[in-house]
Amino acid sequence: MTTVTAPEVRLSMPARAEGVGVVRQALSGMADALDFDAEVLADMKMAVSEACTNVVVHAYDTDESGVLEVEMSAGESGLTIVVRDHGTGLQPRARPGVPALGLGLPLIAALSDSFELRGNTGKGTEVSMTFFYVRERDPAEDNPIEGWEAP
Amino acid sequence: MEANPISLDDSAGDVVIVSVEGEHDIYTAPTLRERLDEALGQGGGVVVDLTAATFVDSSVLGALLDARRRALEAEQGYVVCVGETVEPGVRRILDITGLVPVLPVVSGRDEAVEAARSNGTA
Repeated sequence: MTTVTAPEVRLSMPARAEGVGVVRQALSGMADALDFDAEVLADMKMAVSEACTNVVVHAYDTDESGVLEVEMSAGESGLTIVVRDHGTGLQPRARPGVPALGLGLPLIAALSDSFELRGNTGKGTEVSMTFFYVRERDPAEDNPIEGWEAP
Repeated sequence: MEANPISLDDSAGDVVIVSVEGEHDIYTAPTLRERLDEALGQGGGVVVDLTAATFVDSSVLGALLDARRRALEAEQGYVVCVGETVEPGVRRILDITGLVPVLPVVSGRDEAVEAARSNGTA
């Protein structure tokens, strides 16, 4: 059976810090409707927060007002969330005065059942994360955060 | 009234408790940094109480780690505490980043206050 995975929820907002909580709220609503358990929902919220935070902090030059896009699709095996920007590409540009631990992508890898990162310089970045309805393995065991030292 | 407040309690005298409630992320991390600065500025130990926190991400961890570093440099006690049951949105990130022994994170506010009193000495 072919599954049509047109996004069921699509959000678009200015890439600002206050929007990240809004995305989490929408995600909670979606996950609730799909009956995810509390632990997986916590992982979803964290991974999506990190992806959105990356957009807010890194995607656009400080004098640009860019867009944060989030799409959520319920597929056959799980919920897929795509976080997208149309900014400067994969090169992380730390803004002066905004401290960053560099934990965003390792956390996404440790918390999601699968994820994909796509992007090209100057064409923006897309992070796609899938969370299975039925989790047989803990992704944090398969992709532990390693080689990171607290500053 | 803020939906996700961060409040200071200095009634313990030599230890200031910074209580973090609700969800916190990049939006509230600057406020958390300010509150931690205020707490450290009082010169004594600092306890960050995450008992009522329901979600924290790496922006919050960054604030907690920076405050920890400043406390260590100033030889002030610094401890994070959680409650008996920890929300998944807090427990998970502390576990997978290995920060429980680093911050450190203890269970219970009273234990945390005692630990902050005793780990500030040279």
